[in-house]
Amino acid sequence: MPAKFDLNDSSVVVIVGSGAGGGVLANELARKGISVVVLEAGKRVEMTDFRNDEVAMFGLFTWLDPRTTSGSWSVGKTSPDLPIWTCKLVGGTTVHWGACALRFQEHEFKTRTRYGDIAGANLLDWPIDLKEIEPYYDRAELRMGVTGTHGIPRLPASNHGKVLFAGARKVGYTKFQTTNMAINPVPRDGRASCQQTGFCVQGCTFGAKWSTLYIDIPQAEATGKAEVRAESQALRVEHDASGKVNAVVYADASGTLQRQKARAVAVAANSIESPRLLLNSSSSMFPQGLANSSGHVGKNYMRHTTGTVFAVYDKPVHMYRGTAQSGIVMDEARLDSTRGFVGGYQFELLPQGLPSFAQNLPGGWGRDRAWIVDNYANIAGVWIIGEDLPRETNRITLHPDKKDKFGMPIPNIHCDDHPNDVAMRNHGYKQADALYTSIGAKKTIHVTPYPSTHNMGTNRMSEKPRDGVVNRFGQTHDVKNLFVSDGSQFASSGGENPTLTIVALAIRQAEYIADQMAKREI
Amino acid sequence: MKLLDWASRLSRRGFLAGGAATIAAVAVTGPSALADAKASAGEPQGLQPEQTRVLLKFVRDLFPHDRLADSFYAKAIAPLEDEAAKDSSARKLLADGVGQLNGLAKAAGGTGYADVPDEKARVATIKQIEGGAFFSKVYGTTVVTLYNQPELWPLFGYEGPSSDKGGYLHRGFNDIDWL
Repeated sequence: MPAKFDLNDSSVVVIVGSGAGGGVLANELARKGISVVVLEAGKRVEMTDFRNDEVAMFGLFTWLDPRTTSGSWSVGKTSPDLPIWTCKLVGGTTVHWGACALRFQEHEFKTRTRYGDIAGANLLDWPIDLKEIEPYYDRAELRMGVTGTHGIPRLPASNHGKVLFAGARKVGYTKFQTTNMAINPVPRDGRASCQQTGFCVQGCTFGAKWSTLYIDIPQAEATGKAEVRAESQALRVEHDASGKVNAVVYADASGTLQRQKARAVAVAANSIESPRLLLNSSSSMFPQGLANSSGHVGKNYMRHTTGTVFAVYDKPVHMYRGTAQSGIVMDEARLDSTRGFVGGYQFELLPQGLPSFAQNLPGGWGRDRAWIVDNYANIAGVWIIGEDLPRETNRITLHPDKKDKFGMPIPNIHCDDHPNDVAMRNHGYKQADALYTSIGAKKTIHVTPYPSTHNMGTNRMSEKPRDGVVNRFGQTHDVKNLFVSDGSQFASSGGENPTLTIVALAIRQAEYIADQMAKREI
Repeated sequence: MKLLDWASRLSRRGFLAGGAATIAAVAVTGPSALADAKASAGEPQGLQPEQTRVLLKFVRDLFPHDRLADSFYAKAIAPLEDEAAKDSSARKLLADGVGQLNGLAKAAGGTGYADVPDEKARVATIKQIEGGAFFSKVYGTTVVTLYNQPELWPLFGYEGPSSDKGGYLHRGFNDIDWL
């Protein structure tokens, strides 16, 4: 039974957001007997609302509220109205995620030490290391059911994956396989197995893919300790005279402002909305925004360094058949600065159905472009996803004039590629060309980054309060009962999809919050 | 139905990249009985057949697939026609754009755009308006509405939705035989 808490109940932990961070934190806390209220800006839909329809599900899931961009990043030109592709619904971006569940590598937690001082970047070691987070990676993999871990078999390779692997083998790569995926290869934990529908991103109609929407949120509600309020957009976090947070003001489904009292607040609204909320919560005590004495809230925005390469063959591939992202080449994920850049990248499958493929293809119009679409069935493609370096100037700010329908300033996303990103992307294009051409591709096509789905770093974790926003547990340096529980905690972006790390950190953070509450520290 | 409630709230913006492209054009436009006030006051509603003919040819030249019958392009421009029937500023944008295409074509070869026999000549005409408001409007809409027609997908070897058929698990997800 979902709980129902009074607005004046000051014993609850308020969690803003219900995705990988917020949804998991809510489940963990509720199962420890802690009362939680989850405020989710988006609607609640159910698995039965999912359709194998790219255009309709894009409309159903996507955060479409206005945002602006600045800076020289290509997304600012190719998609100025929609620079970020994340979701706005209960379950957040775990509804549309591709389910690649990869651990960060050891060196990626210690970038300042391992990469050195790189001009134009703002590198910082995480205050934690791989060893410390490993037990939580284990727990995250077990709860999500990640293939290739803990005895869970891998998914079978699709046609699309087999093309990738054949090319990888031909050019001498050795680290390729179907990816560690949070998708059941066999029935497990009350969830069905993958039917290779190919529509992971449109919501898994079989529920084989892990999502907080139909796993963690219902589990949390079943404890009787959790209440999820959909269509409730947090506008401001408030604090008392001592500087501890004590309430969240939000707009409910009817647009009416409500104020939920809180014992503690965890912000898990992703790397765009979380800093936006903190910045919008400025007060006379915190004039730069809440938890922002360091000035780092909103800064060090990282997406991943990405790009896509499609290859045209003479024979059929049918890339859309099967688990969308289940295929990876990891040889380039190593740290090896002889390639002209630090950090590494993966090659991951990222197929598209015909409607999105045709729409997102570069090259404008005319016969050359039409020829590529004509060959749709014979095309394979791979996504470059690599480490993006933090830069102080890449940041989320509140727009000086533009406001959303609740009067909250909209966020601006400023981003300029670091030369390291450019070098890495170009290396990826070249290697993917070689890989696909080695097995007979007659043409390859390079696509610039899509709107960012992986967004990190804007409330980063730091040992010293002056270097970041939160400590090793995601607790803000400035306010001890205020937490950050999403990818904005990341001090580096790694060359891996962020979700598994977000979940591992949320599990770990729940232990810490429960401990601090038991000790009456918060 | 829940999905329709959602669709009606979609804002006008790109599906993924593409900026001006509009999912709303796909999801929410349909034949509408509501013409705007000017239309009901006696102004002609929507585009003239000749204007529609030019628009169709233009969209075919943007996305020239010889395997596709004109009917697919007609369906792709239908949301634009609907918009023109409802909204005088959209009508003016489209009518002016068609007029501009015809004017440029006539200046180059003496006939209206749709009657220029040489595709290269029509392409040269398009290049002169590329990036303008009319071009962006038509491109942004039809790059979605052309390819989001399920009847068209088999012609490109795309089999589309699979959940109701049990996915591709037993329908060829791993049947590649040429590697």
